Amino acid sequence: MAIFTSTEQLNEVMERLWNKIKADPEMSRQLLKSKLTVRFYYREPEGRLTLDCSDGKEMKIFTGENNVKPVVEMFMKSDVAHEFWLGKVNVPVAILSGKIVSKGPVQSALSLLPVVKPAYAMYPEIFEAAREKKAG
Amino acid sequence: MNPFVFEAPTRIEYGEGMAASAAEILKGLGASKILIVSDQGLVKSGVIAPILKCFQEDQSLSTSIFTDVPPDSDVTCVNKAAAQAAKDGCDGVLAIGGGSVLDAAKVVNIALTLGGDVLDYQGMNNLTNRLKPMVAIPTTAGTGSEVSAVAMVRDVAEGKKLLYGSRFLAPDVSILDPTLLVSLPAKLTAATGLDAVTHCIEAYSVEVTRSPLTDVLCLEGLRLLFQSLPQATKHGDDLEARSNTMIAATMAGIAFTNLGVGVVHALAHATGGQFGTHHGTTNSVFLPYGMQFNLEVVAPRYATMARYLKLTDDKNDEVAAQTLIARVKALSGEIGLPSRLRDLGVPALKQDQLENLASLANSDPAIMFNPKEASVQDIIGIYERAY
Repeated sequence: MAIFTSTEQLNEVMERLWNKIKADPEMSRQLLKSKLTVRFYYREPEGRLTLDCSDGKEMKIFTGENNVKPVVEMFMKSDVAHEFWLGKVNVPVAILSGKIVSKGPVQSALSLLPVVKPAYAMYPEIFEAAREKKAG
Repeated sequence: MNPFVFEAPTRIEYGEGMAASAAEILKGLGASKILIVSDQGLVKSGVIAPILKCFQEDQSLSTSIFTDVPPDSDVTCVNKAAAQAAKDGCDGVLAIGGGSVLDAAKVVNIALTLGGDVLDYQGMNNLTNRLKPMVAIPTTAGTGSEVSAVAMVRDVAEGKKLLYGSRFLAPDVSILDPTLLVSLPAKLTAATGLDAVTHCIEAYSVEVTRSPLTDVLCLEGLRLLFQSLPQATKHGDDLEARSNTMIAATMAGIAFTNLGVGVVHALAHATGGQFGTHHGTTNSVFLPYGMQFNLEVVAPRYATMARYLKLTDDKNDEVAAQTLIARVKALSGEIGLPSRLRDLGVPALKQDQLENLASLANSDPAIMFNPKEASVQDIIGIYERAY
């Protein structure tokens, strides 16, 4: 059974997480420095999140459809995304085995992995809050 | 043991004179209009002529020949070859050459099969369909491209290497014909051979994707290279030495495509992207320094290699590992490769340029597999020691 029960729940968790990352001065500084626009495509359940750092000034976070053109696109099951944010995904193995598919200059996206590592500690609380809300 | 994935989709056909069977093999794969990709060096040396003759003699096949792949293949040449192949209605690809030609042909095949701009297909595992049949005939023993599921081409405008990775990029058949290596100059034999040495050592050091299947390939590949690379470099007509290095390079190719490489390749990609240095030669310069950097976490692996190669029987891993590093340096010198980056024509860099190059290396996919985390400062340190 999938970890996320609906697209709505998935989008809510990811949006909250990325807003927390945005509020973290060091992580947001480094992400903005990259000027990268990345779109994550999740499946089972479907979800989409776009992170736009292209102007180098403000991190813009969008869920669902939008017209922003991404430089890098990452495709994965929602469960893989969940495991990733728990720090449990071995990214090289996931990429080699095709669990994570990347389109575009994958180098640029990989350079952001160390940057977002501090967010692993933020994720469990955000996820639990969303799960409790659903249960409540 | 770690969970692992091992894939080796390419059929390998080895034999002296085996290149002459390329036409039959492509027909067997269902192709009839073949794009033949190669370079001017191989045209001038006459290496490809006998292979082309086989195609000309077969009335059931037609060919479109592209021989303008530069030493460091780039997006421009790929687009040009793909346009030619599309115009001529090609339904199969034959690549004859070194890693640059083979990588270019793989990316050409993406464009030929799927259409559109090759820049749109960069990435890992984003190809979802089989490509047109492809046969690879390597004329160097080093890159492993004849069996690997990756291709890199240079984007000259951006000054970096573009990465394409997919199981569908591995050629359907690879023909290993050692007679094609006889005329390969000593300098290129040495440089490409050290590339294969680097594949064996870096791949064997990767922890996260390791398996007994890949261990065997790395160890035996390295043994064959240490045994035969000096002889193949000094006596290019020694077919046994040529065969050993060719088979070893292919073994290393299967290994690294399943394992990944590490910081040495990351630095070689960044340096090559910026300054156009030869990939194998650049790897050979960085290899001892990269090994020294990783030593504290992979000494037992290096030690196993050293003992397997019978370089030492010392029980102390650190001591045995140092023996391997020293042997790598000695091999590089023995076959006439430069030991310093400055000898490759790389200019001295200012601090900001150095940081930029190290950042490029630090975001190279190869770095993901390095057994020890490497920061930008660590990479600058390796670079400066190698310079």
